[in-house]
This record gives sequence, structure tokens and C-alpha cells, in this order.
Amino acid sequence: MHPVRLGIQSITGMLAISLASFTVINSMPADPVAIAIRVWNLPATDETVAALRAEWGLDQPLLFRYCDWLTRFLTGDWGRSFRTGEPVLGEFLERLPISLSLGMAGLALAIVFAIPLGFFAAAHPKGVADRFSRTLSVFVQAVPGFWLGLVLLWVLGVQLRWIRLLAQDWTAAVLPILLIALHSVAVLARVYRRDLMETATQPYFRTALAKGLSERQALWRHGRCGALYALLAAVRSEAGWVIGSTATMEILFGLPGISQFLVQSIAARDQMVLQAYVMVIVLWMLVMNGSAYLAMRFLDPRLA
Amino acid sequence: MVRYCLLSVLAVFLVLGGFWQPYDPDAVDILARHSGMTASHLLGTDHLGRDVLSRIMAGGWRTTCVILAVGLTGFTVGTFLGTAAAVFGTWRETLILRCCEFFIMVPTLVVALTAAAIFGLSPLSAALALGLAGVGPHALLAHTLSKRVLGQPFILAAQSLGVSSFGMISRHLLPNTLPLMFAYVGNQAGLAVVAYASLAFIGLGADPSEPDWGAMVFEYRVFIFDHPMLMIWPGTAIAITVSALNWAFDDFRA
Repeated sequence: MHPVRLGIQSITGMLAISLASFTVINSMPADPVAIAIRVWNLPATDETVAALRAEWGLDQPLLFRYCDWLTRFLTGDWGRSFRTGEPVLGEFLERLPISLSLGMAGLALAIVFAIPLGFFAAAHPKGVADRFSRTLSVFVQAVPGFWLGLVLLWVLGVQLRWIRLLAQDWTAAVLPILLIALHSVAVLARVYRRDLMETATQPYFRTALAKGLSERQALWRHGRCGALYALLAAVRSEAGWVIGSTATMEILFGLPGISQFLVQSIAARDQMVLQAYVMVIVLWMLVMNGSAYLAMRFLDPRLA
Repeated sequence: MVRYCLLSVLAVFLVLGGFWQPYDPDAVDILARHSGMTASHLLGTDHLGRDVLSRIMAGGWRTTCVILAVGLTGFTVGTFLGTAAAVFGTWRETLILRCCEFFIMVPTLVVALTAAAIFGLSPLSAALALGLAGVGPHALLAHTLSKRVLGQPFILAAQSLGVSSFGMISRHLLPNTLPLMFAYVGNQAGLAVVAYASLAFIGLGADPSEPDWGAMVFEYRVFIFDHPMLMIWPGTAIAITVSALNWAFDDFRA
């Protein structure tokens, strides 16, 4: 697939999702005007209601409002939050670095650990690494990350006193990043291992062995690229999971990221924040999808 | 065999929680707060003196509703769309598949977050959102399986015998794809439990006093210094449920 085609598809997808989410969010049972009057302590007269409706264009048809919102969104005007009264874009820019660094660091750490784990699991089937990665993948499926984090806080922080609870500096991010990475390490290591095992059944692998390479050398030289390709394909779906874990980690560890901001805004039925959140998530998925695709294209010249 | 026994015991426990608990899960008994594990309160009581076992059982019933609703929505709609795409072919197939692919792009939890934000978090709304988010993967799987079956010689034979299209789908296609689809639903059930627990943990303006396992972990997390067992129990319930589900459906995994 050509990059241009991928770009067109991504933009179409983004427009479709933005239209769908805009429709759903705007058909919320809660009336934003009523909320604004309550939150800002405005007089609940007919004039105020009419003025607010006109100001926000709520008297216009939905499609018209969508186009208006889209042009504003693209020019950087993401609306104002009801709850804080600040522009949504500013609020997001303030919090996005925290969420992004959590998610990116977790994913990067997972890839770094998954490659050796998957490789040794494939090189020695039924060996220590293989059994460990299998146990890990069963474990992370069953044990939710937020609860594991809480148990770790209890064991490491309360019982052993190895870590400080409620730290305010960078050390507060270490445990969440490790927990986010843990799930992805298990999934990605299994994918990496499975692809390497498939390589080992290929005729060219036998040729490499006949050339005199050891099994481990042959796996690394001839299986590495193919397995990395499979790993990147799995990263694309894992990126969605990472968002979910980031959200729970932000709540558990009290990190002021975008998910925590969203949860605080939901109670106030803050539609602009919700819409912006959906867009940011879709953008994240598209960027992850696109970069994984570009890396895969680099690895496999047949795609180009 | 052991795994099915375990699953049945779990199912009985979860369903029982819908009708009977040792105590009212919301009954406050301030004199008996933090009682620890005693004969009358097997898993102890929380900071308001509510019986933890009763709350876990009530939460188990809510979780069961989520599992059933998620499975039903994802399975029915997904199988219908995927099979329809495979049978129709041409531009309708492309349209359905593209829609499903776009739908997959939005992470499940975000769909559920949005739905919970709009309709409030209840087992039903969360399950519908999680189930709808599961439609995409189910439909893609149903499509792949159906395509594989449609390529078989016996389909051609049935066609040349003049089997009607309804008979073709109900007698020849679905019996071959449904068992595998069913196994997939079983594996998704574990994911649904964790996703629902995460949603309840995040909170989202839902009433945090509702006895959901995730909400209980959130509520009891502040007692980590003095009464850590309070947050251990609901997490254990999640882990046991998911493990039992995964283990029971492990055989079917393709």
C-alpha cells in the first residue's frame, strides 16, 4: 500500500470517527446550556438561554454545527471547558505530555524487553524464557494492571518500604510505566516467539544450519527481521490497550494526565473535553498505526 | 474436566450473587466496621461495616450481566455482519469490512468511556458499549471463517443441487463457522471482565458505592496502610473469574 493511500485512508477514518462521535456526544441527554447556567451561576432567564444557544450555534442543524466545529478544531480552537473555563486545547497541551510519555515509555520498554524474551523463548522451547513468557501472558490476562499496581504499592511501599508512596517527582512515573509495559511485554514476546518458530520450519533455515550456523545464530540472522515485522503489526493493536492502561494508571497514581482530566470533566458533562479526548485518542492510534506501517515498509521492501 | 467443574462452581457463585447474599451489600453497620475475617463476616467488613463477601457476590452478579450482554451483542451482531459480508461479496463486503476496520481503530475502552460518560455507568450501558466495540473483531473473524468455508467443494456441490440461499447459510455455512465463533466469544469474556473492572475503577461519575469489583478496588485503595485485605478481595475475585474463563475456553483456541 502506498503511503499516500494510507494517508487518505487515515484522514477519511478520522473524519468518519469525528462525525460519529460528534453526533453521539451532541445527542447527550444533558443540555449544555442548562449546565452552563448552573456552573457559571447565570440568571436562568429566557434571554440568557437564547443568547447562549445562539452563541454556541445550538439553534443550527447538526451537520452545520459539525462543519463549524471541524473548522474551529482544525484552526486550533477546541472550545472552552465548562468546568474550568479555560480553552480545551491549553488544558490538553498541559496534560498531554504526561499521558504521552507514560504510554510511549511503556510501549518502548515493552518492545525492548519483548525482543530478547521472545528470542530466547524461541531458541529454547520449554526452556526458562519460554515458560516465563507463557506464564506471564496468562498472568497479565487475568490480573488487571490497576490492581497489580495497588498490590505492588502495598508490598513494596507499605510492607518493605522500598519505594516512597505519593512521591511527587519523576520516581512516581516508574511503577506506572513498568505496569503498562508488563502487559505488552507478554503479548509482544509471544508474537515474536511464534514468528521465530515459524522461521525455524522454513527450508532456508535448514540451509543456514547446513552452512554451519548454530541454531541461535541462524534464528537471529534469518528470523530477526521477519519477527520484528510481526511484532510491529502487533504493536498497532497493542497501542489501543496502552491507552486503557494509561487511563487506569493515571487514576491509581494520581498523575494529572488527560484521562484524569476527562474523568473530572465527565461529571460536569463537559462535551468539548469529551470530543477533544476522542480526537486525541484517534490521532494517537493513527500516528501509531502510521509509524508502525512505515517501519514495516522499511523492513519489507515488497510493501513499497 | 476439572476446568469445567471450576467454571460451573464459579457460575453458580456468580449467579447466586444475583438472588442471595449473606447480608444486604449496602447495609451499614458502623459498630462492626473493619471487623476482619470472622465467622459471621467471612471476608470481613469495610469502613462502613458493610459485609465484603456480600458486596463481592453482588458485584459478581453485575459482572455476569456484563459478560452475558457483551457476549450476546458482539457475537450476534458480529456474526451477522461478517457472514453477510462474506455472502454478499462485491462492494457491500468492502463497505462492511472497512466500517469494521475503522471501528477497531477506536480502542474499546474509549468507546466504553464515551458511552459511560453519556449514559452513566451501569452494567447494561457498559456491556452494550463493550459489546458494540467487540462487533468489529467478531465481524472480521466471522468473515474470514465464512470465506474459508465458502471456498470448500461441498458448497459448490450444494449450489449445483439448487439449495436456496437461506438453506445454504443456515445448513451449510453457519454450522461450520459457529463453533469457532463461540470459542472466540469465550475468550473475549475474560477481556470483558477486566475492561468492566477498569471502567468501574476509573469511576466516571458513576455512584462509587455500587458494589462493582473495580469500584471496590478504587474505594478501598485508601485503606492500603491499615486494612490492605479490603482491596485484595475484589482483585482476587477478578483474577479468579478471568483465569477460570480463559482456562475453560483454552481447548477451543485455534
